[in-house]
This record gives sequence, structure tokens and C-alpha cells, in this order.
Amino acid sequence: MQFRIVPAGAALVVAALLAPPALADEQLFGYVQGAEPTPKGHQEIYLWLTNRSDKTAGKYEAYDLKLEYERGITDNLAAAAYLKGMSIDTSGIRIDGYMPADNRYGMKLSGVEASMKYAFLRPALDDIGLASYLSFSYDWLDAHSGQDKDKYSVELKLLAQKYFLDGQVVLAGNLGLETTYAKRKPIANLPVNDDTGEPLEWPTDPEMEIGVLAAFGLSYRFAPNWYVGVEALYDTEFETEVGTERWSWQAGPTLHYAEKRWWATLTWFPQLKGGGEKFGPASFDGVAYPGQGDPDLHLIEKTRTEVRLKFGYNF
Amino acid sequence: MRPPLVWLVAPAVLVAAPAHAERYLTLEQAQAVLFPAGTRFTAREVALSAAQVEAIEEDSGQRVREAQPAVWRAEGPSGPVGWFLVDNVIGKHEFITYAAAIDATGAVRGIEILEYRESYGGEIRRAEWRMQFLGKRHGDAFKLGGNIRNITGATLSCRNVMNGVKRLLSLHALALTK
Repeated sequence: MQFRIVPAGAALVVAALLAPPALADEQLFGYVQGAEPTPKGHQEIYLWLTNRSDKTAGKYEAYDLKLEYERGITDNLAAAAYLKGMSIDTSGIRIDGYMPADNRYGMKLSGVEASMKYAFLRPALDDIGLASYLSFSYDWLDAHSGQDKDKYSVELKLLAQKYFLDGQVVLAGNLGLETTYAKRKPIANLPVNDDTGEPLEWPTDPEMEIGVLAAFGLSYRFAPNWYVGVEALYDTEFETEVGTERWSWQAGPTLHYAEKRWWATLTWFPQLKGGGEKFGPASFDGVAYPGQGDPDLHLIEKTRTEVRLKFGYNF
Repeated sequence: MRPPLVWLVAPAVLVAAPAHAERYLTLEQAQAVLFPAGTRFTAREVALSAAQVEAIEEDSGQRVREAQPAVWRAEGPSGPVGWFLVDNVIGKHEFITYAAAIDATGAVRGIEILEYRESYGGEIRRAEWRMQFLGKRHGDAFKLGGNIRNITGATLSCRNVMNGVKRLLSLHALALTK
């Protein structure tokens, strides 16, 4: 056994040496999901950290944290539970129905989630892997504004994965449908729009949304333990009041490294193109707020840039 | 907002990785295990032509990564007893190096894992899994999850070793005995 540089990973390395081998539902991509479930009896812990920044107006930066525990129930069925957290730092942005105030706080618990993944076909055993993924989530903080908002979601995805060149190249694709029930908590003293004389819109009636996503990723093992890849995500959401609320294309490179007991994946995922609802300049309580700086992106619920780091540990 | 510590720690963790390389058997040990003591091994230089590579790939359905396979002729006291081959296949993360012995009639005598750099799936070293290849011949069917048992958690390793043996049987039939 040879070690290159030891310091920061010493504890992990020791754990890796002592622990028995197991298989991970190793995630080569930051956003695209693979079709391999965690095998029966194996357990994994994942940590997801996502940075969302830049609405091309004012200041916007948020971190999403997701702690996941996954266990293989059978060789084809895995179940997972998640704790979610978020932090936000936003100012100088006012958008009717979405961004009612400046907001700044550190990491807070923001939601919980449970999911199941069932593999009909496994990619290394069959010619192609095919799995379904079902998740239920409850969030009490609005991911966009950071305000209080109860949101219940059910998401169903079809996951496909194919190995090429004996596994040196991995292709994965996802199709997903998400239905959401959400209800905002009231906010006192909403700012008044100087043009209309009306307070900023912050509807507290329940709303229903349907989201559709399609994603694909291609990953190549360029050296032992190292994968480099590219992934893309098309994400759209429909709402009763506005029809197509948003759509966007995100794409970017992914770097993945795996060791015996752990792996890490880093994805840079900028928004390339987007549409639907957009925000323009407005004045509230005598203060002028700019509109979005790039008309070719959707920047109300999305940001210009996302970066995601995933870390997995198997035990 | 300052970035969380994990963004800074992650790169350090990445470069802190140990390089796994578990060597289970040396070449000589594998030769001794797969062929009885007293057998003499003569390295055979094999350089596959493009036509041979194509023929092996077509016959086995597997890609030939190495046009100069590592091959030894095994000879006992009364003459040739078979072939000893060393091959590499892809594991989930790294190459798996294994040896296969093919007897004079073209049947697999056994396989041994020599070097396992792979992060997962070391279970393929277990004798009961390797024994499944005994007696396999060129043209026999190989089906992971069928006549070759899969090891949960090591599916890709199982599949690639199985396909490697299938490819070596094609190599034996199309290039070594012709």
C-alpha cells in the first residue's frame, strides 16, 4: 500500500483500510442519477452540498445541504432518508411572488425526504440498467427566498444507465415528474410597489405545481479511480396561474474520484439557457431594484451558476 | 458569505488517497497452483495481427485490449500440458490482473486472481466462484447470473472477468492452436 500525501484524509484512509469491501451506489454525476441500487445489506451515507449563486441583479448566494442515509433492502430495492438544510444571503432583489425581502442566515434545517429506488434491470448484470425512483419530501423553507413556506412534493423518475468499453464509459439518463403542493407563510409589512401603490405580491393561498425534468450524463474513466464527465439537465415547471412558469438548460463538467470506502463528485453546473417568468426593474418603498441582467436565462427560481459537491461513505 | 469548510477540505481529501494494489499471487505461484509441480513454463511471444484481433473480437464478442498477450506454454514430463495466460480486465475503478490455465484439450483448468487493485468486489477471489470456469471450452455459453453466478456488489468485476475468460478461450482457439 502506497500513500501519496496523507494529512487531511488520514482518518478516512484508516477507515478504508480497516473496513471490509462493499459496493456503493456510487454517484458519478452531481445531478444525473445512476440506475444501480445499493445492494442488500449495504449502507451508505451521502453528503450533498450545492452552491447556487448569481441572479444577475442584487446579491444572491445560497447553499443547500443534504445528508442522506441509504440502505439496500434487496439487491434490487434501496431506501433512503434525508435531512435537508439551507443557508442564504440575498439583498437588493424584489420579485412579486418570489423575493419579498432581503434575507440572510446561516445553515438551517429546511426539510426532510424519503425515497426508494427499484432496479428492474441492473447495468452490470443486464445489457442496460433501468430503475424507478420515488421520493416524498416536506420542506418548510422556500429554497428561493429563504422565507417560510410549507412544500410537499412527490417525485417519480425513470433512471437508465449503460456501461460501454467494459465499464470505462458510463452513460446515464433520467426522466422525472414532480408534483408539488405549497403554501407560503404570511409576511408582515410587505414593501409597496411605487408604481401601483400595491404591496409586493406574496400569495398565501395553496398552489400546485408540476415539474418535468430530463437529464443525461456521460462519464469516462481517464485514470484508475478517476472519472471525468459531462452532464446536462432540462428542467421545467408548470403552474395553474402562469402556465409554463419556467424552463432551463443546465450543463457542465463533472469530476469524480472513488476509493475503497468513499467517493466524491464535483460538478460545475451553469445555466445555459432559460425562459418562462422573468423579472424586470421595479421600485418598492422608494427604493429602485434592477431587473434581471440576462434575458436568456430563467433567474427567478434558478441562478446563473450552481456548483455541487457530493461525498459518499460506505459501511 | 464565506464558503463552508468542506469546499476547502475536499481537495485535500482527494489527494490523500491511498493507492490500492493487493497482490495475491506471484506469476510463479499462480503457475504452480494451476499446473502441478514439475511443469515447465516457456514464454511464448504472441503478436496478434489485425486480422487475428478482429477474429477474436468477433468470435468472443469482447474487445481485445492487448495485441501482445502474456502467454506461456506449459510442459510436463511427457510433453505439453496446456497454456498459461495472464490478462487484465477493468474493474469498477482499476484493472484486475488474473491468470487462466487452459489444458491441452482446450478446457479451462482454473483461474487465479493475481493482482486486485479494484476498490470493491474482492469476493471474486473465492474458490467457489472461480471454480465455475473449470471445464469451460471455446464456444461454451457464458451468462452472468445464469451459468456464472453473480456476486452482489461485484457485478462489473464478475462480468469483466467472465468476458475475459471467454476472450482468452477465443485467443487460444484462433491464435494459439492454429
